[in-house]
Amino acid sequence: MSAVARLTVRLVVVALAVSFASFSLLSAAPGDPAAAKAGFSATPERVAEIRSELGLDDPFLVRYGDWLAGVVQGNFGTSVLNQQPASKLIGDAMPHTVELMILAQIIALGVAIPAGVYSAQRPNGWFDRLAGAVSFGMLATPPFVLGIYLAFVFAVRLDWLPAVATDLPGLLEDPVENLRQMILPALTLASGMVAIYVRLLRTDLIETLQQDFVLMAQSRGYSRRRVLWRHAFRPSAFSLLTATGLTTAGLLGGALIAETLFAVPGVGRLAVTAIFTEDYDVVMGVVLLLSVAFVVTNFVVDALYTVLDPRVRHGSR
Amino acid sequence: MAVVDAPTSRTGDRAPGFGRPSMGFIFWLSVTWILLVVLAAALADVVPLRDPDALGVRTGEIERFETPGKNAWFGGDGQGRDLFAQVIHGARPAMVLSAAVTSIGGSLGVLVGVVAGYFRGRTDSVIMGVAEIMFAFPAIILLFAVSAVWGMTMAILIPAMAILAVPGYARIVRGVTIALAERDFVDAARAMGASRSRVVIKELLPLVALPAIAFGFLGFGLVIATEGALAFLGLGLEQRTWGSLIAGGQGLIREAPHLALIPATAMFLTIMAFNYVGDGIRELIDPRPIVVGRKRKADGHDPAISAASDALLSIRDLTTSFPTAGGTVTAVDGVSLDVRTGRSVGIVGESGSGKTMLLRSITGAFPVLGVQRTGRVVVDGTDLLTASPAQRSTMLGTEIGIVSQNPLTALNPVRTVGSQLIEVMRVHREISKAAARARAIESLAQVGIPQPDQRVDMYPHQLSGGMRQRVTIALALANEPRLLLADEPTTALDVTIQDQILRLLSALCEQRDMALVLVTHDLQVVRGWTDDVAVMYGGQIVEAGPTAAVFDDPQHQYTQALLASTPRLDLRPHSRLAAIEGQPPSLVAPPPGCRFAARCTIADDRCRAEDPMPVQIRDREFRCWYPGTGKVT
Repeated sequence: MSAVARLTVRLVVVALAVSFASFSLLSAAPGDPAAAKAGFSATPERVAEIRSELGLDDPFLVRYGDWLAGVVQGNFGTSVLNQQPASKLIGDAMPHTVELMILAQIIALGVAIPAGVYSAQRPNGWFDRLAGAVSFGMLATPPFVLGIYLAFVFAVRLDWLPAVATDLPGLLEDPVENLRQMILPALTLASGMVAIYVRLLRTDLIETLQQDFVLMAQSRGYSRRRVLWRHAFRPSAFSLLTATGLTTAGLLGGALIAETLFAVPGVGRLAVTAIFTEDYDVVMGVVLLLSVAFVVTNFVVDALYTVLDPRVRHGSR
Repeated sequence: MAVVDAPTSRTGDRAPGFGRPSMGFIFWLSVTWILLVVLAAALADVVPLRDPDALGVRTGEIERFETPGKNAWFGGDGQGRDLFAQVIHGARPAMVLSAAVTSIGGSLGVLVGVVAGYFRGRTDSVIMGVAEIMFAFPAIILLFAVSAVWGMTMAILIPAMAILAVPGYARIVRGVTIALAERDFVDAARAMGASRSRVVIKELLPLVALPAIAFGFLGFGLVIATEGALAFLGLGLEQRTWGSLIAGGQGLIREAPHLALIPATAMFLTIMAFNYVGDGIRELIDPRPIVVGRKRKADGHDPAISAASDALLSIRDLTTSFPTAGGTVTAVDGVSLDVRTGRSVGIVGESGSGKTMLLRSITGAFPVLGVQRTGRVVVDGTDLLTASPAQRSTMLGTEIGIVSQNPLTALNPVRTVGSQLIEVMRVHREISKAAARARAIESLAQVGIPQPDQRVDMYPHQLSGGMRQRVTIALALANEPRLLLADEPTTALDVTIQDQILRLLSALCEQRDMALVLVTHDLQVVRGWTDDVAVMYGGQIVEAGPTAAVFDDPQHQYTQALLASTPRLDLRPHSRLAAIEGQPPSLVAPPPGCRFAARCTIADDRCRAEDPMPVQIRDREFRCWYPGTGKVT
């Protein structure tokens, strides 16, 4: 089976399983979307009318089937709040979340790679111990706690950056203002990953640095830097790569927090609002999107493996 | 060649493995903090606090948004409620929730993990498959959905979070169980008729408990953080918790930052404390001391650089030591050795005799940290131990070539053969990429690789072991060095390939007038391919001389024993082989006297007490009190 076919199968299976599970969960919810849509002053008759309009009286499986059929045709339903298509709401919010996640990964890798490499060169040296202690602290800090500290220091005390990203311009329209508003949420999101990445890279690199081919490279009179980056780094980066894929799933959870804390109009915040307002079509859309994103990310990581490790490429590991 | 006296210097034994102190001050500080938080949670109603719900605006005790101070330690909130009392009371739900989730989820997880790890097979794959899926989806989103649907009470949050915690424990415990189940005592218990479940309960559970407890502390912190996150999103418990306090204060970060910062710090410190204690416990089980020492520059300029020696490689008094958990190992102990241009020298000895370390001491690339070298390693007039990094790098790249023991691990697995060959040329001399590539192909042909123009673009794993060794030889020769160091270049190879490789090395040395140092444990290789031989034992060279002479008439008792222990083709089949009894000496604390004394058949008190003086007779050297055939009285 070709890679693309495998990806498609995996996508379909995961998307079906996740959407079915969330659909059941939401069906069991006590709230009444029809009542929510009808508004406070609606008569019971009006609510009942809306119920049947929305197909809420149908059996569970039929409703799931209807929803699924809609999705296949590109119709993710309509927000009960403002009558906009769910797909539009999600589509508008999506770029912000993607940007936030990419920014966070760039920050995390940008900090963790030098820190991990430097730590591994001198295990138990002063830098290694410092990095270890800082990573430890970062792992112990819940994102919302860190976010509050960051907002306090950079937005309140220093007044360098805005504490909320409510009037967020697009990245392409006004990149400077956009980044100014996104940097704190991205840092919040990045901190936990930095700690994980540093630890992984450090461990793997220490091991690689003891390997024969690295010693051989040293014996050929290569500079430290060359040995480290041209010989030891790439074979040590595989765990890091896996982790990057895995944390992307965790990032979605983190984005919920970071977007709420800094009022970033992204998918996470959309989902939080949607759950509170019983706007279930939007919730379902987000959940579906998350599961697809998760599968695709892991697929990309797998593909990157092949680029980085020729042994995988030639199927002989 | 010269064999020189006792080691010149010996570094003092370093304290073994100075990893980070796992049970130090911070550990106990963390324990204390945890106890304080637990006490606060338990005694919130008993201790004389203000009523956390009393509105300061009414009672007049605390002002709105009062800043922390003498009156109210943590200040007051928007209605003048006492934040200190609120934080103390807020500790309780977090502790109750964490304790319940950790104990329920933890015990379930341990059980599942032990079952998966002990029964293996299909049980295992099903369990781990489910766990994998649970890992994949972010827990916070699931909890968020659960709480949105069913509301947020302890009765819902505890089971939901406990279930989510199970895979984490299961995975850790499964790993431990698999490792334990493969050990003998479990088999023994089974063999004695214990039933499977009995083995699990009586033998495995106690051993699995400690890792699970360590993980439990980490999990405890995680539960606190997760509850906080939920509260922060507006879906927290009904009770007042740190999370709800933070959520409430968050919007007022400009006006009254203490409202969010103080509970956030309380939560941060608590999670940190739990993590630290968990980590400390984990290190008790799994101590991974990384042995490290500080690199010290070999003390420098000795004016007496061997002017007398016309050797290409001249090693004087070389001592190489490194710290280990058991003490400082002196792997090379006062070795001196000369290798002249065009000669091949075999270094022979048992494993652990220090022969590979001797070779590594020349290039200075070690697989362990903290190696110290003293003495001199002079190549073509430059002492590699005191040379500047640039000088050293040039010497290593252009004067010395090195062929390693295992061609399967000696090449960078993620780069093509060609890129590695081109690299070594371009780092050390001015040559264009295209020219280097042409040279690379040429050099592959020279070491006998067929179709070099195709092989140059292949990765090491696409080549056979013999081919890979030829590639490492090509790499070693790329800059036309004058000295070739080969560390057991044929050990990892097929017997038929061994001969080809040795033939190739020997021919190349002859063509290019290279000096060869060949480390091996194979006496036949030494006999067949070297001009001179040095026999190593316990980090010292115990005998050296022309190969033929040493083989015909070994002087040192160890050399004799070594020769006698080698199977020889000219012996009758089934004639008894003399193996050397006993173990090589400790390199941490070598015995006084002759290092071989403990295994020597003719050693006496003198051998055990006094280190034999090196004796030089014409081109031969040895250090033995009773050389040759034995005692001459």
